[in-house]
Amino acid sequence: MHDAGTDRMARRKLKTSAKRTRLVEYADKEPSAFAEMLGGLIGANVLANPNKQQDFDALKARVGIWVTDIDEGVTLVFDAGRLTLHNGLEPGRTITIRAEAETVMSLSNLKIGVFGLPVYYDGVGRGVALKLLQGKLKIDGMISNVPTLNRVTRIFSVL
Amino acid sequence: MAVKAFSDDWAKQFKDEVNKSSAYKAAGKGWKWTVGLVVEAEPDKHFPESRGLVMDLFDGDARDIRVGSAGDAQKCDFVITAPYTRWKQVATKELDATKGMLQGKLKLKGDLPTIVRYTKASQELTECTTRVPTEWPDES
Repeated sequence: MHDAGTDRMARRKLKTSAKRTRLVEYADKEPSAFAEMLGGLIGANVLANPNKQQDFDALKARVGIWVTDIDEGVTLVFDAGRLTLHNGLEPGRTITIRAEAETVMSLSNLKIGVFGLPVYYDGVGRGVALKLLQGKLKIDGMISNVPTLNRVTRIFSVL
Repeated sequence: MAVKAFSDDWAKQFKDEVNKSSAYKAAGKGWKWTVGLVVEAEPDKHFPESRGLVMDLFDGDARDIRVGSAGDAQKCDFVITAPYTRWKQVATKELDATKGMLQGKLKLKGDLPTIVRYTKASQELTECTTRVPTEWPDES
């Protein structure tokens, strides 16, 4: 137990992802902070969860994410077990997500429910759905790529 | 009364603000890790030496928040590093901490899935810093 009066703190062990670099690569010599953050997040998620690893190994898609309030974006090229991140939006994207930073982060907090589908009826899910309806979250290519989008959401989700 | 930025008094008031926040109490449920904020020196802004803020946050409460060296903060489970001016921008709401991290203005070290799971809690912690009346060394 932790004693606030001392410098000693007992903590849960954090999972580390030493093999991350094998899964995730960066196309640019100097990856943007956003690219590094997404790459780190996805790498850690995949290594920690066999279901996500399965999705990652099966996914072939080019996913763009543009953060509208910082004017920065990345393209994630998923190639069946490997991910390459590019700074900015690259051509030939399957799906492109455009939203403010807070909304992009909330996509990672979507729960995954039965049949591996994202949950849109809890607080976070309702918030994301509302942003979609309000046009504050735009997903180009969503209609024709629903299974891909669901798979990407599962890989992103930290829950 | 305003307190000097990143001083012992500032840390104490910050801790009080965190513990007064019902939003943090709810969003921080389940959090069990230490957080260190490294405030890098900017001598030209009258902030001559780097400092660390060591935060013992546990399950929605701030059990301890104290000022130490940058090295003390770097030993924490999660470490966020930025120069003095950036932290001032965060505490005065000029810079959103989430955006700052995505832009690389604030550098984060630690398990990313964990910190992303607690985005709301970290936003509320930032809000708490804005409620501490602060005397900024480059303004005095």
